[in-house]
Amino acid sequence: MFVCINIVLKTNFKKIKSDSYTDEVTKEFKPELTPEEFEEYVVNSGAKGSFMIYRSKNKDEELGLDEL
Amino acid sequence: MSENSSINPLEQSMKKIQYADYDNWITNFALNLDDIWNENSSKDLSQHHSNQNNIAIVIGKGPSIDEKNHLQILANSNFTGSIVCCDGKLIDTLKCGVTPDKFPNFYVVNIDPGSHTAKLFDHPLVSKFGSKIKGIFTTISNNNTVKQARQSGIQIHWMHSLFDYNDGKKSFNYISSIIVRSKKHGNGLPAIQTGGNVGTSCWFVSWKILKCTKVVLLGMNHGWNEDTPIETITKHGVDFATSYGVDTPEFQRLFPKIYNPDLQKYCILDPIFQYYRGAILEFILRSPLDIETINATEGGSIFGKRVKSMPFENFLQEYT
Repeated sequence: MFVCINIVLKTNFKKIKSDSYTDEVTKEFKPELTPEEFEEYVVNSGAKGSFMIYRSKNKDEELGLDEL
Repeated sequence: MSENSSINPLEQSMKKIQYADYDNWITNFALNLDDIWNENSSKDLSQHHSNQNNIAIVIGKGPSIDEKNHLQILANSNFTGSIVCCDGKLIDTLKCGVTPDKFPNFYVVNIDPGSHTAKLFDHPLVSKFGSKIKGIFTTISNNNTVKQARQSGIQIHWMHSLFDYNDGKKSFNYISSIIVRSKKHGNGLPAIQTGGNVGTSCWFVSWKILKCTKVVLLGMNHGWNEDTPIETITKHGVDFATSYGVDTPEFQRLFPKIYNPDLQKYCILDPIFQYYRGAILEFILRSPLDIETINATEGGSIFGKRVKSMPFENFLQEYT
């Protein structure tokens, strides 16, 4: 679970310091966050403007249909 | 099934979240139906395609577009192709002089079922230029948003957004398509993959509906600059959201810093940008080989196979 530390962030951190990262990704990136972490973040942010990605057994359909 | 196109856990999660709003999508469709029958299909827009209009510039609302003055540069250019503007950047775009008077093939795209986008079409500049702007809306776009756009003079063109067609004849995509065809649009409407956001939808609209073979991305960062305030990053730029601490164990998983070799600098992703980024890169890679994607955003995380990065001014010099 996440810990909300708004007050600390507002007073001590305005930007992410370079030493905040020990694992900068320089090669191909693959998400490592969990579905639970993702859902919490999306719900928390309101997800305005977001939508789902369409998946199908017919892979060509995933690129859209000229007529439906 | 390729590994890239299988449903990943993040997509499952987003699907679950978005389906909470499913009843509103049906309501939107019902309220839009008379207008869908009376107005145009987005398929009609392909008639504007020509050799002189074979390039589409997608205008997103990522921070680079303002940082690099891309709209001002575009306004002063001799570009003759299509402008495909996401709804959230329409007013700024017009303010900067990128208007349908200068760029007659001017489109705005909305895929959002929520009512919060109505205000994006409520501005004196939208009313001034609306009659020359072609709007591309999904059949489940919010009815108040479409009404506002129409009231501002925008010509509405309809398409479906795909989300459950894979479920067959019981799917809402299928049922709504039959309802639409029952009175008009006998061959149906185009149906697009949204990729989860309006920017990626604009990319799809550019080549699937407008038939452009070169698509240029502006303001499509899908990532944050390294010097963006942490609160902005961890809240996805949303004021009311809760922030996350840099010292928590999950921080680097949620907000990874990745290296963009095309720009030779780092950017920071948040969970939503991880979702968006993965989708558009996958679909660019899977698009037909004659579709060229040029990323002129000059910032962000969109790089990889079949993405040609270049500064926007270089693009204009080379292609106009």
